[in-house]
Amino acid sequence: MNNLHLLYPEIGLSLFALVLMTADIFFKGGKGKFLYFLAIFSACLTLGIIGLAYSNPSHYQGVGTLWSVDPLALFFKVLILGTTVIALLLTVDYKAPVEHGHLGSFSALVLFSAVGMMLLASAIDLLLIFLALELISISSFILVGYERTDLRSSEGAIKYFIIGAFSSAIMVYGISLFYGAMGTTRLTQIAAVSAETTSPMFLMGSLMILVGFGFKISMAPFHLWVADAYEGAPTPVTAFLSVAPKVAGMAVMLRVFTHFVPIGQLGLAHVLAALAMLTMTVGNCTAIFQTNIKRMLAYSSVAQAGYMLIGFVTGGQLGREGVLVYSLIYLFMNLGAFAVVIIIGNDDGYELDAYDGLAKRNLGLAISMAFFMLSLAGIPPMAGFIAKFSIFQSAIQGGWYWLAIVGVLNSVISVYYYMRVAHHMFFREPRTLEPPQANWALNGMVTLTIAAVLIFGLYPEPILSTVKSSVTIAAPAATTQFSSTGGNEGSALLP
Amino acid sequence: MGLLTTVTFLPLIGAIIILFIPKEKVAVIRGSAIFTTFATFVVSLFLYAGFDPSLVGDGVPVMQFTERYEWIATFNVFYAMGIDGLSLPIIILTTLICFLASIYSVSIKERVKEFFFWYLLLEVGMVGVFCATDLFLFYLFWELTLVPMYFLIGVWGGPRKEYAAIKFFLFTLVGSVFMLLAIIAVYFAPNSGTFDMLKLMEINSSWSRNFQIVAFIGFYLGLSVKIPAFPFHTWLPLAHVEAPTPVSVILASVLLKMGCYGLLRICYSILPAGFEWFLPYFIIIAFINIVYGALCAMAQTDMKKMIAYSSINHMGYCLLGMAAVSSTGFNGAVLQMINHGIITGALFLLVGVLYDRAHTRDISAFGGLGAKVPVYAALMVLTCFASLGLPGLAGFVSEFMCFLGAFPVWKMWTILSVAGILITAAFFLRMIQKVFLGPLNEKWADLPDINTRELLAIGPLAVLTVLFGVWPKLILDITNPTVTALAEMHSTIFKYLH
Repeated sequence: MNNLHLLYPEIGLSLFALVLMTADIFFKGGKGKFLYFLAIFSACLTLGIIGLAYSNPSHYQGVGTLWSVDPLALFFKVLILGTTVIALLLTVDYKAPVEHGHLGSFSALVLFSAVGMMLLASAIDLLLIFLALELISISSFILVGYERTDLRSSEGAIKYFIIGAFSSAIMVYGISLFYGAMGTTRLTQIAAVSAETTSPMFLMGSLMILVGFGFKISMAPFHLWVADAYEGAPTPVTAFLSVAPKVAGMAVMLRVFTHFVPIGQLGLAHVLAALAMLTMTVGNCTAIFQTNIKRMLAYSSVAQAGYMLIGFVTGGQLGREGVLVYSLIYLFMNLGAFAVVIIIGNDDGYELDAYDGLAKRNLGLAISMAFFMLSLAGIPPMAGFIAKFSIFQSAIQGGWYWLAIVGVLNSVISVYYYMRVAHHMFFREPRTLEPPQANWALNGMVTLTIAAVLIFGLYPEPILSTVKSSVTIAAPAATTQFSSTGGNEGSALLP
Repeated sequence: MGLLTTVTFLPLIGAIIILFIPKEKVAVIRGSAIFTTFATFVVSLFLYAGFDPSLVGDGVPVMQFTERYEWIATFNVFYAMGIDGLSLPIIILTTLICFLASIYSVSIKERVKEFFFWYLLLEVGMVGVFCATDLFLFYLFWELTLVPMYFLIGVWGGPRKEYAAIKFFLFTLVGSVFMLLAIIAVYFAPNSGTFDMLKLMEINSSWSRNFQIVAFIGFYLGLSVKIPAFPFHTWLPLAHVEAPTPVSVILASVLLKMGCYGLLRICYSILPAGFEWFLPYFIIIAFINIVYGALCAMAQTDMKKMIAYSSINHMGYCLLGMAAVSSTGFNGAVLQMINHGIITGALFLLVGVLYDRAHTRDISAFGGLGAKVPVYAALMVLTCFASLGLPGLAGFVSEFMCFLGAFPVWKMWTILSVAGILITAAFFLRMIQKVFLGPLNEKWADLPDINTRELLAIGPLAVLTVLFGVWPKLILDITNPTVTALAEMHSTIFKYLH
């Protein structure tokens, strides 16, 4: 066990979660509300520690036995914990966990899931990757099904569980093939035995591992669970699931597929390009037909994953930076949109009709939602534009013109359904003129995210320079030959 | 803070102030909006006062009032602004039209606060497009016009407003995403790594012809939707007709100019080889725009739709002038942009005046109004004559220059295009006859004449129409040196034309 101290933040957060779980027994019903704040506090504390580790590489960063704590991992851990904090804040007055009483276990599950994601962002061994994925999945299954009396919630949880179990099985099989080809589950060993990386067994293993990740980031055609799980889950959980696992999945995919596994050498770049196009197109085209905002945002999140995948295709420095920028901005715009969805959903439900005439009921909220939608669509000067710009830039630089064209055409398609929300808010008559109710946390989160979306849209330099210094992946020197070019130089080895 | 930043972002300050005024205080909101647009117009006149038209360089245009700050260092993006003789007249046109249309906007009665918020935001985008000398900034302002326009059409428009709004949005966006890809492609071109238009104008000679053609197509798709050039014009009649009057005015007078301006500033200046490759098709598109636009206008019974189609025809003259790639042609094109802005702006306002009173725009629903509303009739006849190109009024000078420029190069197409003038005259005269002449349709016996507010909005445009008709030198003195240098800039590539 080398460098166990690198995992102290994860260990600490797990302990907090266990404490919450135990405390749940003693504080039943509404009395347990302070457990939320304890959870938020612990997540903030961990976030602080991660921030410290981020700023002091020599002390708190390094490579352990199965884990590597490097700027890339820390960047994503910040995103994951940030999402956790925001999602917990969004839950403060949400009815489902309060009604069912178990506030402590609810927040503990969120924290466990966050721990799993943090481990995933750091993992450099396939076994740890698998364990982390299972930790995320099992917590998420329960969270999705938390509204026990609601049939949709149960349906979503069951679908999520079955497809999740299926994809885990495929992934384990992939890992076993990987082990068969390489004789190890250590990703760091790949370079040492590079002759084996061209074997069909290795290729099959890599593809199956990709399927496992694809499930987490809702890559088509493994996205079928998304709409039902997102619709059925308590909305703050939907918000959490739409960002955190996706971001964590991006982290581990960056590590595996742009650093360790030479995708250029395996000819996987074209597969990824095809998957990216499929994911964007399927997500956007399905979202057009949704009348429920949660389902619409579910398919929109599928499409967003498709844009992010473009960054993997090129694999180079710019592509990786694009994925990081996209993840960070996606966090703000998607959580912001969900904060508005929760505010409206508390009283008016989740059909698009609930947004009729919102501009007359609360102009500020309507404009914020319109801005989130525009940002998701990638219209400047919202931050979403910077995200798309970074991604498409990497595609053009890598010579993937078709991919870029499909990408931009997809963002045009997406405008159609994103603007339909604006259509309901601004063009239709409200059923009531009473402004929607929201507590301090929801209002605060909308303000925070809209500020982030606007500020990062107009002045993205802080993000871009942070990201530039965060794409570093710490790994044994033997593998660095694949690090910066995504294995492009390996293409000479192809038959 | 520079003058260009002031003139661009003054409306934004107004928009933010309006956001904080309670929505019941309609008069205060209107007052602040009109004041903001007026102030912006006055500041833009300072630009005119401080501008030195004779400052032109050899090759790359010399910008004045330049501002340059580092903005996004990672992408090498600068907040770079500057104007030359090409952009200055269009900027003043923009601020003037915005001011006059905001006076007219008093007729908007519903959701006044939102209206002026989007309206002022739109002005920021429009002015910014003409000031930006960095492609990234240019694109930002370009897209900034999209969302306010969507809401302005969709909330305050006519019966099919919602469809018109989304159609406008999607059409323009399809074009502009290709422009975005072209911008990125230019950034990654050899020796580039910059979004600075002026720098790109210098280094383009090292790019291969094929690359320039591909990048040109990207830019052209974005720009031609806005112009609109055939076959991307189908959004225009719908959007113009459904939009509320002040917004139609802005659409016709300013938004269409963004496309033409971009053609000269980017397509021609940065990608000359692409422009050269496209020229034979370009002249055909210009011809189609002229004749097809005029024929479509002829077929309309709705006055607003007729004027909308006449815009396609008039933009065709602009394209014709540009296809000449000569000083005369370019001057004609720029002058045509300004004149079209003034004349068509006035026409839309006048149609709006009639519609507000009669609630119909059907040409054959009227008759004999000339005696009933003499002031209105006089203004309408004047602007119609200007639009059809009567000598002595603004339209004639610019159309003549466009034809004069294009004739030596594209003899056949120019001769064929003359048909457009004929058809334009026909449909405008028919409209004047049906609406103002003949026996009075008794239905309109108590139609009131134009009121002071409307006169305040339309009067200045009518005055300018006459002024630029007899004294076009006022504009040409500003544009000529810049545009002549522009035409010479790539003379080696285009010398076979002359």
